[in-house]
Amino acid sequence: MFDQVRPEDLAFVGKDSGRIDATEKLTGEALYVSDMTVPGMLHAAVKRSPHARARILRIDTSKAAALPGVRAVVTGAELDYRLGLYVVDKYILAKGEVRHYGEAVAAVAAETYAQARRAADAIIVEYEPLPPVLHHMDALKTDAPLVHPDLGSYDHIAAVFTPKPGTNIANHTRLRKGDTEKGFAESEWVVEREYSCPSVQHVPMETHVAIAKWARGDQVEIWTSAQSPFTVRNLFCHAFKLPHNNVRVHIPYVGGGFGGKAGIGVEPLAAVLSRAAGGKAVKFQATREEEFSLLPCRSALTYRIKTGVGADGKIKAQEMTMYWDSGAYADYAVNVTRASGYSAAGPYEIPAASIDAYTIYTNKPFGTAYRGFGHVEFHWGLERHMELVAKAIGMDPLEFRRRNALRPGSITLTGEKITDHTGDVVKCMNAAAEAVGYGTLSPEEAERERRTGRKIGKGVAALHKAPAMPSFTATAVVIKMNEDGSVTVNLALTDYGQGTYTSIRQIVAERLGFPLEKVKISFECDTDKDPYDWQTVASKGLLLSGNAAILAAEDLLANAYEVAAQVLRANVRDLDHDGTRIFLRHNPDESVEFAKIAVGYAYPNGNGIGGPILGVGRYVAQGLSNLNKETGQGNPALDWTYGAHGIVAEVDPETGEYEVLKIASVFDVGRAINPQIVRGQSIGGMVQGLGTAVCEGYIYDDKGILLNPSFTDNKIPTAKDIPEVIESAVVETPQIDGPYGARGVGEHSMISVAAALGNAIQDATGAEIVHMPLRFEDVWRALREKTPIDNWITKSPLGSCRSAPELRNRKKDG
Amino acid sequence: MVHEFQYRAPSSRPELLALLQEHGTSAKVLAGGTDLLPNIRMGIAKPAYVVDCKRLPEADRLVFSPSEGLRIGHGVTISAILRDRTVRERFPLLAEAAHELASHQVRNRATVAGNVVNASPCSDMALPLLCLDAEAVLASVSGERTVSFREFFTGPKATVMKPGEFLAEIRVPAAAADRKGRYAKLKRVKGHDLGIVGVLLASAPDGLRAAVSSAAPTPVLVSGIDASLDAQAVDALVQKAIKPIDDVRCTAEYRRYMVGAFIRRLLPEVNR
Amino acid sequence: MTITLTVNGVPYTRDAAENKTLLHFLREDLGLTGTKEGCGMGECGACTVFLNGRTVNSCCVLAVEADGASIETIEGEAGPAGLSEIQKAFDRNHAVQCGFCTPGMILSVKELLKAKPKPTVAEIKEAIEGNFCRCTGYEQIVEAVLDVTGQGTGKGRLDHV
Ligand SMILES: Cc1cc2nc3c(=O)[nH]c(=O)nc-3n(C[C@H](O)[C@H](O)[C@H](O)COP(=O)(O)OP(=O)(O)OC[C@H]3O[C@@H](n4cnc5c(N)ncnc54)[C@H](O)[C@@H]3O)c2cc1C
Ligand code: FES
Ligand code: FES
Repeated sequence: MFDQVRPEDLAFVGKDSGRIDATEKLTGEALYVSDMTVPGMLHAAVKRSPHARARILRIDTSKAAALPGVRAVVTGAELDYRLGLYVVDKYILAKGEVRHYGEAVAAVAAETYAQARRAADAIIVEYEPLPPVLHHMDALKTDAPLVHPDLGSYDHIAAVFTPKPGTNIANHTRLRKGDTEKGFAESEWVVEREYSCPSVQHVPMETHVAIAKWARGDQVEIWTSAQSPFTVRNLFCHAFKLPHNNVRVHIPYVGGGFGGKAGIGVEPLAAVLSRAAGGKAVKFQATREEEFSLLPCRSALTYRIKTGVGADGKIKAQEMTMYWDSGAYADYAVNVTRASGYSAAGPYEIPAASIDAYTIYTNKPFGTAYRGFGHVEFHWGLERHMELVAKAIGMDPLEFRRRNALRPGSITLTGEKITDHTGDVVKCMNAAAEAVGYGTLSPEEAERERRTGRKIGKGVAALHKAPAMPSFTATAVVIKMNEDGSVTVNLALTDYGQGTYTSIRQIVAERLGFPLEKVKISFECDTDKDPYDWQTVASKGLLLSGNAAILAAEDLLANAYEVAAQVLRANVRDLDHDGTRIFLRHNPDESVEFAKIAVGYAYPNGNGIGGPILGVGRYVAQGLSNLNKETGQGNPALDWTYGAHGIVAEVDPETGEYEVLKIASVFDVGRAINPQIVRGQSIGGMVQGLGTAVCEGYIYDDKGILLNPSFTDNKIPTAKDIPEVIESAVVETPQIDGPYGARGVGEHSMISVAAALGNAIQDATGAEIVHMPLRFEDVWRALREKTPIDNWITKSPLGSCRSAPELRNRKKDG
Repeated sequence: MVHEFQYRAPSSRPELLALLQEHGTSAKVLAGGTDLLPNIRMGIAKPAYVVDCKRLPEADRLVFSPSEGLRIGHGVTISAILRDRTVRERFPLLAEAAHELASHQVRNRATVAGNVVNASPCSDMALPLLCLDAEAVLASVSGERTVSFREFFTGPKATVMKPGEFLAEIRVPAAAADRKGRYAKLKRVKGHDLGIVGVLLASAPDGLRAAVSSAAPTPVLVSGIDASLDAQAVDALVQKAIKPIDDVRCTAEYRRYMVGAFIRRLLPEVNR
Repeated sequence: MTITLTVNGVPYTRDAAENKTLLHFLREDLGLTGTKEGCGMGECGACTVFLNGRTVNSCCVLAVEADGASIETIEGEAGPAGLSEIQKAFDRNHAVQCGFCTPGMILSVKELLKAKPKPTVAEIKEAIEGNFCRCTGYEQIVEAVLDVTGQGTGKGRLDHV
């Protein structure tokens, strides 16, 4: 889709244009599902497990059902539907056994939320607690309890995933390239280290919420705060064995997603309650606490890397083993494992590589997609590793990265050849390094060090990511011309804040040659009325839907030209158009207005021709293939977006307290369709990456109870936490098959921020940190070479933490 | 909210005290609500009566006189403390701690009285009140008593207050005016957060004072420290008085270390 | 309990359950859903409104406490002439992404500008520290506030390398 259009010839693409959704969001008029009510609507509440693993002996709902306002009570016992994107392993409500703290075991619908809550609390569940398996490394032991003893009988997508029945391994992704044994033997140095990070929450400001109405004739209508209307519908229909045309999914404005709303969430629960309540609509909205443990999180990771380097500083061989903590269900985690597996070496050329990536079940809230899809976590390990290897061999870390970076002609882990158009990671690294003055302290910085007694350090970390999606991922865009010659665009890619719609409007206006005001992107998505889109994930939206939009615009113009050619009695090839009319090139005064043909042209005598003008654009990812399950070879990547962050950090060498003074992020986006939106994605993701790096993470006690399911003890960055200086830049190496050369950048901004910070802190103080987040205490411990605290599963759960009422109650009881 | 209660908004102190007397432990005073309402929402507090104290005419009184010192009415918010010129100029320790407490919206609502009655080990306002020899005026139907903040806190979320008692006012003696000091609070983010550990170091006529939060079941005051001691010696004294624990926010070990680090950081500033 | 209050200048008399928060009263009883709930715990600021001229987290205020009070919500921010200057600056500077934090954020900025017509960057960040935004990373919000207060262009650059 990349035509060689010079930037100066473009009217809208590459230029700032206001967000199409700003006004309604600024005034509070935008309606989110949490704001919506449907006549007669009931409210739902769930009863959740206080145990990480337990057998359900008995559920007594009689008291709950008799409470005022209660219209329906359901338990897992009466539901036999299993859900799962890739491995079908999860019941809507736990059945027989609970597998994580906070899992739903029963649910109530009542007239008011308070009534539903009281009724849910009145449900009596008798459990027989079972020993949970909490740490993913423990789950690999041969005597570990099995989270899913029936794994062998679950449906799964066998072409792509490999569960290991009889173990806790939900998937094993393998990749082999070249001869690693030989590579290590020829290496001058071999460095092997392990890196890790805990589970974290996405924290969309709007928690998961859905309204479902299960009407007569099994006609189901759903309004949901989700990212992917068609995936909600598809998985819903699979679980309930309903024809797809029975189910209609609406997605209005969405208060953030970040991957946590990529698949199916609370919709089935609301739907079964609605069915049980005789077809009344039911709304379920997760509380913030439920968001942390009823709904999924990001998987924890342990990443072991062994690298062999030759005398010339080039990597000769690398062995990579990833242990992904899936939690109780596989959900997206198996695919995170797969996508991380084939990207595991980052933007570097590794001649001989072996990768084993495992998705491991544990009795914890389950992992799902989260901005970066595994790449935030493994780049933490990888880019710290590159730093530590460089230090071990006595080379500057940036130089070591450059020397090994992927370049045109390089072969990726899966055997793909990098071309001139893939993007330029070295340019990104260099620009990030330059922006932070890598390698030296400026006179002001040196003076600041003297004045404060703190140490200033600089770090750079690079990154890459390709969309993780099925090889045949598809989308469509429909553009409809209105009576006045303006157009309305329908697509089922959702815009939950990324600004994709604003960019797509620019693309459509550009291709149509219409002013922006004439192009409207319809905001609410509706599976009954919008054309298909797979999912709004993977940073593929702009590329695939942008291409489809271009095709739709061209199709619309072709249709309009066909009618105009008749009206003007001319050959289509002689026509041209502007924002309002189609005219003859050689005689521009001869023209017909779009408004005249928009819904059918009428001759003076009343005869009609044409009919409503619309354009359809269909696009499917091309040339991608499933990976060989033994060797991992194949072509998984639609496009690779490269990037790098540079960080300047100031560290107190005594206490470990630190501050990020500056960050510079650079991505090769192919072309920035809307610079301010690219910048918004760049900064927003970077700050989310800082949250992961600095303070976020789940902390469990040794029974598997989540100790910090709230903002009181799971902090996220505030306005005060952002660096004083933030710079964003782009490299523009056009993506040949991207719309106007563009590629995605939505997730990339979050990747490698933590590693850049770790590298900067090490540069400042020598502290060698291999676990994130980097709390001040972690830095302090690293500085003193004290044993790191592993409080992610802790034996000392006591404290002033007010966010774990369950814990408090338990203490009282015991 | 799910929990149901009856709301009362008495307009005079006797009326309020009578309600508290009548309902005893089933009543909770509602000041700014920034502790109470989240606690009710989470089922940690389940009062049958919520008695709003903000409609008492004297609630927002914040006055200073050389004879009576600073009188902080029970409804005085953290923001009101920050806005008050006399407080800023003559009781800067109060202002400094107030500035560290929560976010702007919370400060607009949260009261000083609520902060101390809540008696969290991480209370920000307890530290200056301890350093300034402040007292709590506790009222009940049977009369008033005055308790020094040194005796006020008895454990995590526990105070000397008896059922039926109301914190009517906080008094800071005039003699404590112009006391100088510095406050350091360790947080997990630079934005609003409860203190992981906090140290307020101040000079007083009887020597240096160190007030420490989140390092023991209650806020801790160490007073009468010889002002000529070096940081290490001051730290040694303070370490004896604290009893930090491990929790999700931090380890006891790092808490102890940071108390020392803050003392080393603040001492030169206070001695200047 | 029957309460009387004005919201955005409009007087209302309504029955309010005693345990209902002001947030839920505004959203459910008055249909003013511009004020959002992000946590219900006073932490995130999505529920920020003006109560008698000062911003509060309406999830930590009971509706009955607001008897006799004057409330301003996001719905009162744009006038008949259109968006307020703060709203326009947010628009110009791409200070909105998903929009869920936006109503609370705007009211916090409004509170700041009442006290400090030309705030510094540090003052801006402090004024909005109680408003979590998970999308924007705050920088473009800070730029919007600088813009509306006439300090600098307010528009950050995306550099091309
Ligand atoms: C997001 C958030 C952040 C916070 N951050 C901090 C922080 O950084 N530092 C900090 O110290 N605190 C913090 N807090 C806690 C809280 O805001 C403060 O403790 C506040 O000062 C409490 O005052 P209030 O008026 O809101 O109390 P309320 O919630 O109204 O009351 C608290 C308790 O005191 C009782 N009470 C109140 N007034 C009286 C009285 N006059 N007589 C008898 N009993 C009374 C109430 O019954 C209740 O039990 C935070 C709270 C939130 C929600
Ligand atoms: S909803 Fe009120 S502060 Fe989060
Ligand atoms: S714009 Fe989404 S939370 Fe701020």
